[in-house]
Amino acid sequence: MIYDVRQATIYHYASPVAHAHHVLRLTPIDRTGQRVHAAVLDIDPLPVERREGLDFFGNRITWVVLEEPHDTLTVRVAARIAVERAPTVAATPPWEEVRAAAFASADLAPNSPAHFLFSSRQVSLDPEIRDYASSSFAPGRAVLDGAVDLMNRIKAEFTYEVGATTASTTPPMSFALRRGVCQDFSHVMISGMRALGLPAAYVSGYLRTGHLPGAAQLEGADAMHAWVQVWCGDEAGWVGLDPTNGILAGDDHLVLAIGRDYADVAPLDGVIVASGGQRLEVSVQVVPVS
Amino acid sequence: MALLDSASPEDGNITPLLSGYYCALPRNFDEMVDREGRVRAHWRQFLQMLAALGPDEVNRHFAAADRHLRDSGVFYRVYEESAGAARPWPLSHVPLIIDAAEWRQLKAGLVQRAELLEAILADLYGPAELVRDGRFPAAVVAGNPEFLRPLVGVAPPGGSHLRVYAVDVGRSPDGRWWVLGDCTQAPSGAGFALENRLALSRAVPDIYRALRVERVAPFFQAFQMELSSLNRRDDSRVCMLTPGPLNETYFEHAYLARYLGFLLVEGEDLTVRHDGVFVRTVAGLKRAEVLVRRLDADFADPLELSARSRLGVPGLVQAIRDGHVVLANALGSGLVEARAMLSFLPALAPALLGSELKLPNVATWWLGDPAARAMALERLDELVIATAFAGELPAHIQRRSVLGRDLDLPARAALIAEIERRGVDFVAQEAVTLSTTPVWDNGSLVPRPFILRLMLARVGDGWQVMPGGFVRVADHADARAVSLQGGDRTADAWVLSDKPVPEFTLLPTADRIAITRSTGPLPSRAAANLYWLARYIERAEVTLRLTRALINRTTDNDDAAALVAGRIVSLLGAWECVPQAMLNVKPALVAAAALQQRDLPGALPNLAGAAQLAASVIRDRFSPDAWHALTELSDLVNAPFEQGLSESAIFERVNGALRIVASFAGLVQENMVQVVSWRFLQIGRRLERGLATCRFVRRFGFDGDPHGMLDCLLELADSQITYRLRYVMVAARDPVIDLVALDPNNPRSIVYQLARIEAHLAALPKRGDDSRLSPPEQIATALASRMRTAEASEIDKAFLIEVETALMKLSDAVAAAYFTTRERSDDAWAPLE
Repeated sequence: MIYDVRQATIYHYASPVAHAHHVLRLTPIDRTGQRVHAAVLDIDPLPVERREGLDFFGNRITWVVLEEPHDTLTVRVAARIAVERAPTVAATPPWEEVRAAAFASADLAPNSPAHFLFSSRQVSLDPEIRDYASSSFAPGRAVLDGAVDLMNRIKAEFTYEVGATTASTTPPMSFALRRGVCQDFSHVMISGMRALGLPAAYVSGYLRTGHLPGAAQLEGADAMHAWVQVWCGDEAGWVGLDPTNGILAGDDHLVLAIGRDYADVAPLDGVIVASGGQRLEVSVQVVPVS
Repeated sequence: MALLDSASPEDGNITPLLSGYYCALPRNFDEMVDREGRVRAHWRQFLQMLAALGPDEVNRHFAAADRHLRDSGVFYRVYEESAGAARPWPLSHVPLIIDAAEWRQLKAGLVQRAELLEAILADLYGPAELVRDGRFPAAVVAGNPEFLRPLVGVAPPGGSHLRVYAVDVGRSPDGRWWVLGDCTQAPSGAGFALENRLALSRAVPDIYRALRVERVAPFFQAFQMELSSLNRRDDSRVCMLTPGPLNETYFEHAYLARYLGFLLVEGEDLTVRHDGVFVRTVAGLKRAEVLVRRLDADFADPLELSARSRLGVPGLVQAIRDGHVVLANALGSGLVEARAMLSFLPALAPALLGSELKLPNVATWWLGDPAARAMALERLDELVIATAFAGELPAHIQRRSVLGRDLDLPARAALIAEIERRGVDFVAQEAVTLSTTPVWDNGSLVPRPFILRLMLARVGDGWQVMPGGFVRVADHADARAVSLQGGDRTADAWVLSDKPVPEFTLLPTADRIAITRSTGPLPSRAAANLYWLARYIERAEVTLRLTRALINRTTDNDDAAALVAGRIVSLLGAWECVPQAMLNVKPALVAAAALQQRDLPGALPNLAGAAQLAASVIRDRFSPDAWHALTELSDLVNAPFEQGLSESAIFERVNGALRIVASFAGLVQENMVQVVSWRFLQIGRRLERGLATCRFVRRFGFDGDPHGMLDCLLELADSQITYRLRYVMVAARDPVIDLVALDPNNPRSIVYQLARIEAHLAALPKRGDDSRLSPPEQIATALASRMRTAEASEIDKAFLIEVETALMKLSDAVAAAYFTTRERSDDAWAPLE
């Protein structure tokens, strides 16, 4: 399946910004099961400095410096992406074996499970979430079965509600509320998995939706989306699970960036010299072209 | 325990010193006496000289050391949580003495260890072969919060990750030194060690000289020269990057910066441009090529490290990638100080260096390994369990390490479950028993356990070890390392030389220091704090003068005095020195409020506090005396009125406070070199005084003088004597206004303030070669000419309001021209959907 993705991100500042440094993580790259035919990132006003590079996890990042005073910042992404994912391995090892393998890993490469085992900036390991996750992982259960069960429980027991949480809501907070958006659901699931010693990663990207006649609209279609990858041992590798929608990540999920949590993949980090607040407007379109 | 060996006659006179020592001695290694109870050879001379002084004299000498620390020694405090909660960290006066042969061994072990850690950092941030070869589990690296991924693959500019390194060691019962922990992030202790050395060597100079104690100054000089040599351009200054005054070791940062001649900067002082890192100074951007980093690495760059950091420098990581700036230590160096590292070092030394560790570290097992986990759970009682990387243990233990047998049952069960689930987060360590060293206790010595921190600096291709150290001594006899986490007292460490030691000091000597009259660039933030400090102090003086004038008028019980008093009270109210609700109460109560009310911006406690806060961030630019005056002022205004609130008590306090303010002004005037930083103090003070005088004239200079208003104006402007000398008559409006507002020779007049401000502004560094007047100069010059040509008779309230408005504009213009204000935004992305 080939898609055209368009995203516009517009910051409106209360007063002109004289100087700004930003890091953008908004350009998709080739990954297993995903090829990027073209990707363009436009920034207005024009940066005085712009550099491209890859972060540790292999995500594409763009550093920009803006020196022209501006009261809006517009970032537009246009990309054509082909997705064709291999079917997931049916049988995965017991979760205890996966845990032992992750602990003993001799791999420090970006996709090594070792990076995704520990608490990170926005995912603390919380005993309550651990106990919640633990009931999906009976002794000896296959790791993917347990992860799918956990995902389905989150989908069933949590309420999807925009505005209930913010970008900096912690997993214990959204867990206590039993509500939130895709970021919260993903963080809770990651926290639960890691607390049991299982590697779990955070994925930001896009979701195609509305193509199934009569099917319910999936959440997260007209905005950026987030889901989880779970490491299922050396053989099965990483498998995508979407706790917001209760489905495995398939050809409808387009990966933008992968990290330990939201903080690793935040679309835009920045430091600006300005006074006053700001308002953000984001629009996303994902259109199949074939 | 055997008694003192009475066969050694030279020890005879030290017997009283040791009377309490043996019974207190636990059954482990003691630094001063051996197992047979004999005083070790390298301690004898020290003890004999101490004994020769006699207990009273020793007490007197030790008290001198305490005084030294207290006086210079506001530096010598540990800050906890908030800036207010300073805790003194007292000196234990007896130094730890180490003999030359033992020191050589320690030194070799330390240098080897520094080389090992550097090699590990170079590998883990580079090819990571140690992980691929199975020498390091990936989780030990990946789980460490100090493994900074943006720095992977970045070769550190200057060639090495580590440039300063500190090691905590302890001595076990068998007499061997063991490494208890490594500090590679931003090691502290060198400045404290230096302060201890100064205090003690001045308190017992004869003993210090006689013992041939190795000097520490050459170590600091080598460190200083090494870092300076990394500057590639002549105009670059080495900067010490501090997180600021809230940090517990801030005083050490300020102290070392001053001692080493480095520029003390905070993240906000630095800016990254495409061609390098620069300090924002009052003279524009100045290049910085070397940063001694006392800021934890994760806070160093909000763009690529912790986005929540408000202390860092946006773009610093990129500047490092581009090779523009050397950091000591490199970002990410904290990786190797984790406890988990200790379990792998013994095996890594032969692999990386080709030799065994010369100095062992405390036996440590990382519990991510199944075999180690099983062993540790088996031997839980006798082992110490600690976090592998950072943070506290789970299950509400709220400590970083705990001895297995000290756990209560629920905590024990919870900890075991957690270790079984996530062993990767834990280490087990052999419980260490420390050796003891003597502490002076009312005329005799008692043994106390201690930890010794040793300091190393990279110099050229090798390492120098500071011959000395920072000793933390427990206040109790419990010698288990686990119970000495902070340390209760500190001590100096004396390394004895087998050769005569040359006198050496880093304090300036005529033949060593090249003459310079510049004190280097002044960061904009420091300039702003100097300016505001001066304004707060001057405002305090104004409030004090008003309060005194008010008290002076409470004794005359006539209507005229009451009218003047009413004006003073309303002025105090307008300046928010007293609450509005108090304006109609007795003047004495109003005066007391101005002196004591804590929540009012214009009252003394707030002004003194604000002055102290402004001064605290520029500690490196102050003499201890000037700082002392500020502390005194704060202590005075915050002291309760012991004898009740009488008018005379208030009067006395006001006068006391005015004396302190005057002494501060005097110290600044007479003891501060008249360079740029001094000028910002002066501009602040003159501007505040000009504003106050305008307001005094407006309130008391008009409506004729039926009630002694003009006398009050003369009093507030401290100009009565001049007036009486000049006019020998009662106060009349025009002469008074001429003296107080227009007389260029009266140091209290408005014209005088403006003339000084003009001169100071003209002497400030210019940006570029712009020969036009700067915006502040334009305002000051226009205002000064207007005032100089004015006649007393034309000055009315409207005129004065214009002057006040212009002065406030001038203040804004100074801020815009010289002080950066950088407001930051959270930049929070809206929630995803």
